[in-house]
Amino acid sequence: MTITETLSKNRGELEVKLRNLLAKPVFLIEMDAFALPCGCKGATINTRGLQYDDLEIFEDHIVKYLKDTSENLEIEPSFLFARLVPGTAEIASLNSRVLCNRCYMDFARGSGKKPRPDIYILNFIRRE
Amino acid sequence: MKLYAPHVGHLEGLEELLNGSKDIYGIYMAGTPDYVGTGRTNLSAPGLEDIAEQTEYAHEKGVKMEIVLNSSCMGGIHLTPEGYNRISWYFKQLNNIGIDSITVAEPYFVEMLAKEYDMEVVVSVLSFVDSPQKAEFYEELGADTIVIDPAVNRDFDKLEAIRDTVSTGLKLLVNEGCLYQCPFRYAHFNFFSHANGPGPKLSVLDDYYYYKCLSLRISDPQQLIKSPWIRPEDLKEYKHITDIFKIGGRTHFPNWILNNVQAYANESYDGNLMDLLDCPKDLKDLFYIPNKELDGAISQWKQCTKVCNKCGYCNRLAEKIIKVYSTEGCENVLKPLKENGGK
Repeated sequence: MTITETLSKNRGELEVKLRNLLAKPVFLIEMDAFALPCGCKGATINTRGLQYDDLEIFEDHIVKYLKDTSENLEIEPSFLFARLVPGTAEIASLNSRVLCNRCYMDFARGSGKKPRPDIYILNFIRRE
Repeated sequence: MKLYAPHVGHLEGLEELLNGSKDIYGIYMAGTPDYVGTGRTNLSAPGLEDIAEQTEYAHEKGVKMEIVLNSSCMGGIHLTPEGYNRISWYFKQLNNIGIDSITVAEPYFVEMLAKEYDMEVVVSVLSFVDSPQKAEFYEELGADTIVIDPAVNRDFDKLEAIRDTVSTGLKLLVNEGCLYQCPFRYAHFNFFSHANGPGPKLSVLDDYYYYKCLSLRISDPQQLIKSPWIRPEDLKEYKHITDIFKIGGRTHFPNWILNNVQAYANESYDGNLMDLLDCPKDLKDLFYIPNKELDGAISQWKQCTKVCNKCGYCNRLAEKIIKVYSTEGCENVLKPLKENGGK
């Protein structure tokens, strides 16, 4: 399977899982794999119709789905987060990111679920 | 019938549109945002030379050219001496080019253009003219044509009262898919006006209003039905109000615009209504609204009191006909709304 086919299949599967979980037609408008100049790499899933309340209530389920999707894309699910529209109920995207050493330190120094107003950490595996 | 079609703003696009259809009466496009912005997103910002070239081409084809400068908020800059001089200079250049009409939302510009220039002055949909009183006010300022706020597209008493009150031309925007009575309407257009205007440019995190707009419809799809679009088949119901209709969609490709022109010129479309709506285009890959199954709904809307919690017609209609695109493997399939969590 090509990388685009893998992305397409996983976008659809995750969308179906979220719809079944939340009983509403959540829309995953785009799934992208990325590699940044700093060394970070991963996948971004732009969401529409997914709300902060959904995340709070179904966090365990959503984390599991996102982990599975990440692994299917061969991305180690070490850092999973949602990007919020600050001050609102809107979730702009779900993300799986393998942090480079520099970005890892930025997050590792902090604590709590929301190190920035627009980031809600779903899973963060600290390095030894 | 006079159909106004959107245009992204470059000559190649204009050639494609005007060679693709004989049914376009007028073209409208944004100008450069350096003087007056627009209340919507644009894909290009034609300079004066581009506008002159495209106006000449449109006129050769017998088509009117309209420039849209419908910023809903100028931040007061137009009332400063420097601002006035800059904007006045730009209007003069457009006048010299020979554009046929200019669409503005700012009341000050309506009066200024009416007093000092020869161009037809069109009051933008972003002036929110939704009553005979407002229409009369703009007529007295010097408006030649008023684009009526789509919020009253299904309120025939209001439409007829506006028609009877003013002698200006009236134009109806047929395919705006904005939320009915949208709470973000003013704020969103003001935001766009600054983002797409003379500056200073904003460094914005996200378009909050757009996210919210989509979320509201995804969680409550009856909002798609309540939006005040006019189906191609229903144009005949409006011809005693006006014969001028405007298709929205400056950020779409020519083939999308031509599909709309064909649908509205033929007054018929057999497909997904979402294909025709300017906004929200993201949702056309989520919802399928079979246009032909909306036959007859206009009869209900013509007598609608807009008290949704007592009526429930749009909700029932949404549940009956809207389908949701879902994925099975890599294939897209259509499923009934209820199976996908419709209210």
